[in-house]
This record gives sequence, structure tokens and C-alpha cells, in this order.
Amino acid sequence: MTADRICKLLRLPGLTAYGEALALQRQLVQARSGGELTDDVLILLEHPRVITLGRGARVSNLRASTEVLAGLGVQVQEVERGGDVTYHGPGQLVGYPLVDLGRHKKDLHWYLRQLEEVLIQALGTFGITAGRVPGYTGVWVDDRKIASIGVHVSRWVTSHGFALNVTTDLADFDLIIPCGIEAVKMTSVERETGRAHSIVKVGDKVARSFAEVFDLTVEPAELARFR
Amino acid sequence: MATRIVMSKLSPTMEEGRILQWLKKEGDPVESGEVVLEVETDKANMEVEAMGSGVLKRILVPEDATVPTGTLLGVVAAEDEDISAILAEAEAVATGISVGRADAKPGTVPPSGAIPGVAAAPHPATPLEPAAVPPPHDGGRIKASPLARRMAEERGIALRLVRGTGPAGRIIKRDIEAAATTGTPAFGEVGTELGPEPPYERVELSQLRKAIARNLVQSLGPVPHFFLTAEIDMGRVLELRAELNKSLQDTGLKIGVNEILLKTAAQALLEHPDMNVAFAGDHIRRFTRVDIGIAVAIDDGLITPVLRDVAAKGLRQISVESRELIARAREKKLAPEEYQGATFTISNLGMYDIDEFTAVINPPAATILAVGATQEKPVVVNGTIEIRSRMRVTLSCDHRAVDGAMGAEFLATLKRMLENPLRLVL
Repeated sequence: MTADRICKLLRLPGLTAYGEALALQRQLVQARSGGELTDDVLILLEHPRVITLGRGARVSNLRASTEVLAGLGVQVQEVERGGDVTYHGPGQLVGYPLVDLGRHKKDLHWYLRQLEEVLIQALGTFGITAGRVPGYTGVWVDDRKIASIGVHVSRWVTSHGFALNVTTDLADFDLIIPCGIEAVKMTSVERETGRAHSIVKVGDKVARSFAEVFDLTVEPAELARFR
Repeated sequence: MATRIVMSKLSPTMEEGRILQWLKKEGDPVESGEVVLEVETDKANMEVEAMGSGVLKRILVPEDATVPTGTLLGVVAAEDEDISAILAEAEAVATGISVGRADAKPGTVPPSGAIPGVAAAPHPATPLEPAAVPPPHDGGRIKASPLARRMAEERGIALRLVRGTGPAGRIIKRDIEAAATTGTPAFGEVGTELGPEPPYERVELSQLRKAIARNLVQSLGPVPHFFLTAEIDMGRVLELRAELNKSLQDTGLKIGVNEILLKTAAQALLEHPDMNVAFAGDHIRRFTRVDIGIAVAIDDGLITPVLRDVAAKGLRQISVESRELIARAREKKLAPEEYQGATFTISNLGMYDIDEFTAVINPPAATILAVGATQEKPVVVNGTIEIRSRMRVTLSCDHRAVDGAMGAEFLATLKRMLENPLRLVL
């Protein structure tokens, strides 16, 4: 049974613009719903500096004005999903699993907990003891948040996913936290271990624990094949 | 045939979900399998599809509202189909207590009298009729079984916010259990009685705002204050006052700087509705009327009579009413409803020649403006030194509800208005 379930692993080199990744996800979700794509897909990539505003977010949650952010080279992108303000940037491993929950378990909370488990296990291989904070989806090291999670589900096919700080410039998170008083303390693999691990290596571990937690066989894939 | 759209359980552990977005409006044609709305549970959004074709006849729960799973959200039916039976059935089961804004209208909650705690009353899960929710009272006493009473006390649940399903509407054990899981507001979440409450909109807290509130309280106590100070040129206000009073000479009326301040603050709050708020535990109340409290020193303390709906009043009326209120405050002749429920407060110590000061917020209010004396001082204007009349104001804000930039923008507007006050009298 295990051997039957394939997950294509799509690793995008360099920095992928947020909008581009969004379009790719949409395309793949559509292909999945339409039956042209029969395997689950895990996309791993890095975004350039971007702040995304969910539908629930207000621009006043930003610490700097859109103009100031643009001057800093930080894009502000409004996205059609719920939730708050999120930051992405270089040094952050972003994972977009496009999986058919109909094939796993039709349970959104289960899926969120599984994603947390993937990251908790991967972080364990770097000697980081990470865990959950009940009521606050994401992965935490004590009271410090190391990974954020937010997913969208359409006909039980998932998109969006997680963002794990590896060598992220944590100061950038202050851009979305008023007054520099740390509402949520962010941390990174680098901050926790004192070492700047390569994002490729962290990606390897995450892909491996993803396969394990979701009971999938990972097959590397090329972007061209999907286009 | 009519089909129901319900808040489905997207996980065995899902108790409630939030409406993120309706993708269709009432009356829009809908095909079976088409996505009609998105709901949110935890950090996951789910598209919800119609189970049948027709038109979206009714939207029963608005965007942003949080409702228990199983709640009827909408009905898809043929254009001319009678869906009253479904609606009636939904109403009959609407015993769940919504923690979201279940008011189908643009979220205005009418004033509710002095109810401690958060929600004015538990909103019905489906906003069909303003259901008579308050349980039967027996001469002021709420009907509840002794067990339910004890459970409510242990869990900090206000009985008056619980809907009883026992005989004759008596509150029984299962009602308390239901209230505990659906999150009936607990006692004292706001801290103080809100008094006669101005109308407000319920604003759900984002995760970020929850985190800000949680952390800042640990830093600065239950009401985490921050302070913003600005210096305002009062020259034109003083000119305006002189002119107004000249024209009012025969009437016996007088306009003071205080009244101009009241009017300006109300105008500025209209431009910054996010400053006309109170933090209420699990949501923010954005008041839809500006009621300004005026701090008045009395023999053994201070009291803040509240001038209602200031934005709707002209300077004359503000002058007459505020002077009358202040006079009665000094004589300690105010009724409680006359000094409760301010959406904004002004404390002026200018007459004591205070340059500037910081005022302490009186919960559940979220702001208070401390006003210093207007003084002549040298100011650099366009490279030359001029003698100007300046006044320093300091705004205290509850950081759980208001952020620095919001407060600063409000103060900037207040300053602009006071420095160009003519439009106030227009």
C-alpha cells in the first residue's frame, strides 16, 4: 500500500515570487481536481521578502507603511485567504503540500497536526526540541515560534502550507509587529542551534519526515513536467 | 428541491467555524458542486460547495461570524420555492450561542443596558428573528437548577447569558455544558460595567491582535497603556472662540475651548472609527456613536459625565449640555447612566496651568485625552521665531485595542482640525 502512494517533490531553486508560487499551486490543484494529476505534490521553495495580508488582516497591523516597505524591498501582497499578516523571506523554507485529503483523512485539524508533526520531527534531527502550543497552530520551541502554518482546502485538496525559519532575518518580523514589542517571539533553526544550516539540507529532512508522517513515497520531480 | 448549506464538521475535533467569505450573493444562481463560501477552522480554510442547483435563496450567517458546526448557513433553492419550513426549523434549533457576530445587518448591536461581561446577549446562531433569549426571570432571579447554578459559578459563566432548555426555560446541567464549550462570555471579562452602552459593531480579533493583547497585558498590567503627545497651535481656535462669543453676545451663551475640543475630538473620531472602541475580551467593540466623557474634579475625587452623540451636535448644543452636565457633576447630582459608557474621554487640567500630563484609562474605555494649558511660547515658523499659543495633549491608549500608528493618525487629524477650526462651525 505504501509503495502505491507517491508524492512528487518539487524543489524550486533560488527565490520564487509569491504570485508565481500562487499561480503554480492553483494550476496543480486544478490538475488534481481534474484528474490529470494523480499524485500528491510537495513544493519546497524560498520567497523574496514579502508580507502577505489575509482577509482578516488590516494594513494597520503593519508596522511600516506600504511605501516604506516598498523602499525596503518588501512586497505587500493581499491574499484571498483568512488569517493574519505573514512574513516570508530568504532563509525561510516554505512548503506547499498539495495533497488529496480524501486519500489520507478528511479531517482538517488532523492535517494541521500532521504538518506540525512533519516539522517537529525534521527539527529533531537538528537537535531542536520543538512542539505545539494548544490553540496556536504552528511549531514552537518553548514560547518562540519557529514555523507558521496556514492551509486552504478545496474539494479536500490542500494548498498553502508551512513556513519554517531556517536562517530568516528575524528582524524582518518586526515589520509586522507594532512597537517592536514582540507580540510573538519568532525564532529560527539558526537562532536555536547557533549554526546557519543550509536550506537545502533542512529541506531534505523536511521532505523525509513529510514522507514518513503522511506515509508517502517521495519522487523528485521537475517543474517543466507540470507545465 | 431546496438544499441546505451547513457549517460542516471538517474535523471530529471541530466545534465551530468562522465564515470567511461568501462567494455568492443572495439571488445568485448556483450549480450543484459550485463553491459558494469559504469557512475557517483553526488555521485552515475550506471551500464549501452547494449540494444542489438553483439560486442562493438565503444567507443566514454573515461573513466573520463564528457558529457551531451544524448551523444552517444558507439555503439553495429554486427561485420561486417556499423555504419557510427550512427557515422555521433552523430557528427552532438555533439554541447554540454564537460567539461571532451573528447579526445579519451591518453588525450594529443596540444599546443593551447595564450588562457586565461581554456580549450584550447571546446572539442566536441564525439571525432570523431577534429571538427572545434572556431566560425567564422570577422577580429578577434566573430559573436554574441548583446543579446548573453551581456549575456556572465554578466555570465563571454568567447565568443570564445562558439559554435554558429545561422545563419552562429553566437552565439545567446540559445548558451549562453547552455554554462552556461554545464560549459564553464569563463574568468580569471586561472588568467594569459598561453602563448604558452606546451602540457598537463587534470586531473579531485577529490572531495577531490576540497575541498583542495577551503579551502586553503581561508587560503593563490589565490595561496596557501607551502614550502619544502632540503640541497643537491654538491661535486660530482662540480667534474662532473670540469671534463666536462676539456673535453670541446677546444670547448669554458662551463657547469655550473645552467645547471646541469636544466637537473636534468627535469629528476626528468619525474619521478614525478604529479609535472609538473598547477591548472586550474576545473581540473589540467599535462604537457607532461618539459619546465623550468629560473628567470633572469634585470634592472627593473625579467623575466623568458623558455627553452623548457629540458628533451629531453643534457647538451651541454641546456648550449648553456639557455645562449643564458639568454643573450637576460638581453638585453630585448625576445619575449613573450619565457618567457611564463613554467611548472617548477628555481630561483637561489646563486651568491648573499644567503643561502636559498623562491620564489613566478608565476601563472599559480604550482611550483618554489629557489636555494641558494653552500657553504663549516661542515657536519656529518658517525659519522665524514667533510667539504662538500652544497646547500639549497626550493621548493614552489601550494597546490591546489600539496601535501606535492608529493613535498617531488620530492625533494628527485632531491637530489638523484644531489648527484649521473653521470647518467645525460649518
